[in-house]
Amino acid sequence: MSANKTKLSKSILEMKFMKRTKEKVEKQQFQEEGEEYFGNELTERMKKDSERFIIEPSYIFCEKLIDGRVSFQGMNPEIERLMEEEQKNECVKAKEKEETDISDEQMAQNWKNYRKMTKTERRYEKSLEKQNNDIEPLSKKPKFLKPQY
Amino acid sequence: MEVSVGDVVMPGDTVKDITTITKKETIILGPGLRREADTVYAYKAGVLKKTEPAVYYVDSYQKRYVPNRGEHVVGIVTQKGGDIFKVDIGASEQASLSYLAFEGATKKNRPDIQVGDLVFAKLLVASKDMEPELVCVDSHGKEKKLGILSSEGMLFSCSLSLIRKILNHNSPLFNMLAHSQAFEVAAGMNGRVWVKARTIQETIAIATAILAAEYAPLSGIKKLCSDIEKTLLLTQSGNVD
Repeated sequence: MSANKTKLSKSILEMKFMKRTKEKVEKQQFQEEGEEYFGNELTERMKKDSERFIIEPSYIFCEKLIDGRVSFQGMNPEIERLMEEEQKNECVKAKEKEETDISDEQMAQNWKNYRKMTKTERRYEKSLEKQNNDIEPLSKKPKFLKPQY
Repeated sequence: MEVSVGDVVMPGDTVKDITTITKKETIILGPGLRREADTVYAYKAGVLKKTEPAVYYVDSYQKRYVPNRGEHVVGIVTQKGGDIFKVDIGASEQASLSYLAFEGATKKNRPDIQVGDLVFAKLLVASKDMEPELVCVDSHGKEKKLGILSSEGMLFSCSLSLIRKILNHNSPLFNMLAHSQAFEVAAGMNGRVWVKARTIQETIAIATAILAAEYAPLSGIKKLCSDIEKTLLLTQSGNVD
């Protein structure tokens, strides 16, 4: 590829007005050198890498497993306190979800509509204003009214 | 061979669902699956499962523990010396546990741990090329549920799939057992379970219940628990006489 392209000579690149181009050429050269150097280390697999997959090596996430430390009926009060706390947190989370009777999707949809409405409304209002101005222009320029004490 | 969710898979099988899906959706590959370009192969034998939204994994029977980052394990301290303890967690290599990785531990104030003690710890580093590393504190330096397990309990091993069965958030086993007796359990993902109850009989009963749960269906666990409760009552009354 580089053979086809005409290369700028060194002396031209050294000129003052060629500063930017020089930087660009140097950068390109650096890139090419890097590719040459590491090219054979890039495997076929790395080239085909896609972002579609996440690897999760633990079952804990896949099966939603609990921590393996449990205590019941006062055998270890400390652990039981922690378990209770966790349960409370979960309850709170569940409640928060319940409290919002409008789902996030609905809300988003609603907002979208609202935005559209306002846009059209604004246009409508603008046109109305114009019309009003056309029909009955202000008869007089409003005068300054002296405040009365 | 191409397989889909719910099938028995063998190492080398390709997962059909994933290759045919064209939707732009991030897919999570759990244990037992690996990717080669855009095809997904199973590398464990078991049943292919899927949980919502798009988590695929192979549910397999396994006894050998392979460490994974973030998992809780029950380990036995085998060596003490210098800055770290060596802990046997049932993996191919012993894990290291720093003496500073305990709540309230400082260079002067070392935790009191002897060789042979049991610890419930979390895996901080688990890489296939490196020695696994354990900690007994969370990121805030608090012990929470981790730490040394008292020597009054009992330790036994079981398969990794049983651990997953009893730790499933839908598993009724612990709650059922808790109706009739007080007990404490530390179940590590490495297939080691430590149990402690008020008496030796009760401890053995809990251990038996856990081991028996391996082959009991979800509906049979209630019966299993009541059976154990009954036997326990009988033996206790026998002791009194």
